[in-house]
Amino acid sequence: MPMKLFKCDAAIPEREKHCYIKEPGEDTTQFLPSSNIATIPGSLSERGCSYCGAKLVIGGVIKDCIQMVHGPIGCAYDTWHTKRYPSDNDNFQLKYVWSSNLKEKHIVFGGEKQLKKSILEAFAEMPNIKRMFVYTTCATALIGDDTKAVAKDVEQQLGDVDIFVTECPGFAGVSQSKGHHELNIGWMNEKVGTLEPEIHSPYTINFIGDYNIQGDTYVLEKYLKKMGIQIIAHFTGNASYDQLRGMHRAQLNVVNCARSAGYIANELKKKYGIPRLDIDTWSFDYMSEGLRKIGAFFGLEDEAEAIIAEEVEKWKPQLDHYKKGLIGKKMCIWTGGPRLWHWTKAVEDDLGMEVVAMSSKFGHQEDFEKVIARGRVGTIYIDDGNELEFFEVIEMVKPDIIFTGPRVGELVKKLHIPYINGHAYHNGPYMGFEGFVNMSRDMYNAIHSPLWQLAAKNVGRG
Amino acid sequence: MQERIEELSLFIQERCLWQFHSRSWDREENINGVLNKVAEILTGEKVALETLQDKCYYADARILVLEIKDRLPWLDEIDGSELKTVIAGVKEKLLDITVTRSLNAELRVPGY
Repeated sequence: MPMKLFKCDAAIPEREKHCYIKEPGEDTTQFLPSSNIATIPGSLSERGCSYCGAKLVIGGVIKDCIQMVHGPIGCAYDTWHTKRYPSDNDNFQLKYVWSSNLKEKHIVFGGEKQLKKSILEAFAEMPNIKRMFVYTTCATALIGDDTKAVAKDVEQQLGDVDIFVTECPGFAGVSQSKGHHELNIGWMNEKVGTLEPEIHSPYTINFIGDYNIQGDTYVLEKYLKKMGIQIIAHFTGNASYDQLRGMHRAQLNVVNCARSAGYIANELKKKYGIPRLDIDTWSFDYMSEGLRKIGAFFGLEDEAEAIIAEEVEKWKPQLDHYKKGLIGKKMCIWTGGPRLWHWTKAVEDDLGMEVVAMSSKFGHQEDFEKVIARGRVGTIYIDDGNELEFFEVIEMVKPDIIFTGPRVGELVKKLHIPYINGHAYHNGPYMGFEGFVNMSRDMYNAIHSPLWQLAAKNVGRG
Repeated sequence: MQERIEELSLFIQERCLWQFHSRSWDREENINGVLNKVAEILTGEKVALETLQDKCYYADARILVLEIKDRLPWLDEIDGSELKTVIAGVKEKLLDITVTRSLNAELRVPGY
């Protein structure tokens, strides 16, 4: 049977409907892993929470606002500095962390006064900052704090500030995907259309679902600006709060991460008639295709071709160099969801690698439809993979390299298998032409490093 | 004819994200919208570009045509009528996989 029950899951046979191995001639109407449903008790899940999806992935990227976390201090600290998304204002959003610092007495008597005090203190300490995100957490949602009322009260008191509240307690939903959804829909309902952007080009877009991981946004915006295209809002790489309020004026939504931000693209299409163009931004082949599509939309085909030619000439020799050491290497992609389908053909077509196993933490069935359509026969596809399954998969496929997060990465490193941070990268950016060279270089260095042989040696015994 | 429908459908399944948008109505609109434009481009008919959505379908279709012209040499050998039959077959096949028989439980959820 193509659905796979791993030996380690004998006590939790429900896991079988989450694991699939593709066989010849099959399509997604026959087998599709269950996903975006509650983790089965007993499965050592690698998922994050709703608050993490809202704050760490999307909201925390925005460069010019205070990110107030209403909850115990650990919620703030644990989503600070764990992902590298720089900004062109000296990384304001990475330098600081804010929390209402809830204690036991606030849980007993209510945390609203403490939140108001924290918000006022934060604005007073940073008088040049006039925008704020407030995130609810498990504790403050359970005690029923009316966070939006507090935010409104502060807005009226100060007069010159704008505050957005995301209701994203960690227990809501089944994974970080719920937080993506809450932030997308909340922003759409409350903030889009509240500020008119300045238009200075006949060609305007929103770039949706890219978070400037190690500078991805800078790479993409370089290409688009060369084409003469104005990016009204980048959701949310290197974005300012007010740019994102003007999303309603774009002519086109270009979508990269459809999982974390497809919602706002859909809503913008429904409410404002802005069409949604999905592209892939990793690899030479996909990036060229994406630029050609944007060029075709605006009648800027020549401009797109000029950029592609220039970039390919500049970067292809380096890609070819790394490709020689990567052809035929077996790769696992154990990340959030979309990178499975963004990357599987990218590394196969451009670098000759083989993606042998993929696992998604928070992908929905839509993501599995995409990845199974693109992925190889014989490849293992897993939803919400657990640690013991990962051990078993490694035994089955014997990968040369694994892209995953730092937690699973530690496990992988102990097995002396090269690991690359599939969420925040090792040495990015990874998007675009130069980015794919960086990604190839990191894979090459990881696979061919002599460190793995040395790591197995007990140097203490000579 | 069936072989050609299968070949083009398989390529689109592997390559194109527009067939997998969030809901069944999005998928139906995209599959019909993009493939209508593909047929117009390949048959040399006038391509309507009146709305932003028209332009978006055109952008996806235009690049798809560039890609399939390289890979499927039989596209140059068939006439307009045969081509429209192929496109109609591809539409039917993609709608069957991504909508009618899709196992995706979220396809008909009313909101996004």
